[in-house]
Amino acid sequence: MTEANLINAVMRTLADPTRRAVFERVVRSNEITVVELTRGSGVTQGAISQHLKSLKQAGLVAERPEGRNVFYRAEPEGLAPLVDWMSHYGAFWRERFTNLRTLLKEIDP
Amino acid sequence: MNEAALKSDTQDSDTQDSDTQDIVVDEVFPHALETIWKTLTSGELMARWIMAPTGFEPVRGRHFTFKTTPAGAWDGVIRCQVLEVVPNQRLAYAWKGGDESNVGYGSRLDTVVTFVLSRVENGTRLRLVHSGFVLPKNDAAFKNMSEGWKKVVQKLGAITDEQD
Repeated sequence: MTEANLINAVMRTLADPTRRAVFERVVRSNEITVVELTRGSGVTQGAISQHLKSLKQAGLVAERPEGRNVFYRAEPEGLAPLVDWMSHYGAFWRERFTNLRTLLKEIDP
Repeated sequence: MNEAALKSDTQDSDTQDSDTQDIVVDEVFPHALETIWKTLTSGELMARWIMAPTGFEPVRGRHFTFKTTPAGAWDGVIRCQVLEVVPNQRLAYAWKGGDESNVGYGSRLDTVVTFVLSRVENGTRLRLVHSGFVLPKNDAAFKNMSEGWKKVVQKLGAITDEQD
């Protein structure tokens, strides 16, 4: 897939607010099942399953079947086309400046 | 306190659109200029706030590396070379990494990191300019995403962020 297609695929997948909310919950948990994701979500288990299927196709989540359950986890590499170097280093340097402030307090109180 | 600005630095080129952009972080620290300079030029202190460098010396021409999270064909090594050293004033190094086969994080990176120090009334002003980011060709789509969108990406960016 070309770079443009990759970015479009990820963007399309995360453009749906419900799907994005599902993805955020998967990101926040280590591993999570469809049943747990459905609880308190306000949508049906079938809808959650559909969203997970799309997220999986976009390479954003991976699944691990265990017995009767399927556990979902986030695949951060799927976001790589979006988290480009520029946004990566924007966050990186702001964070580093905060580190520097802390370090300076320690070495030069 | 943490203010970052994105500065557009358009370089016209006949061959292709080669828009590059800079990241600028500019802050005042209530510490002596010499102390700040030390945190920029001692490998041991750099390790405590940037990343641990291998082979760093504040000497022009010196090659050194940082090791970060690999991606695809890229081993995660940032290859640097000291470009400029003006004691207590200015330090610049080349910051290169990535691989052509990657997109986004881990794609080819050929940038320059410059630190500029100046004395101010209540301490030292430190200005970081990380320059030379080439934006993806379809960046318009990326830029047009809503603010909410960017927040999601930023939050998730932490996942692929460098691990200390």
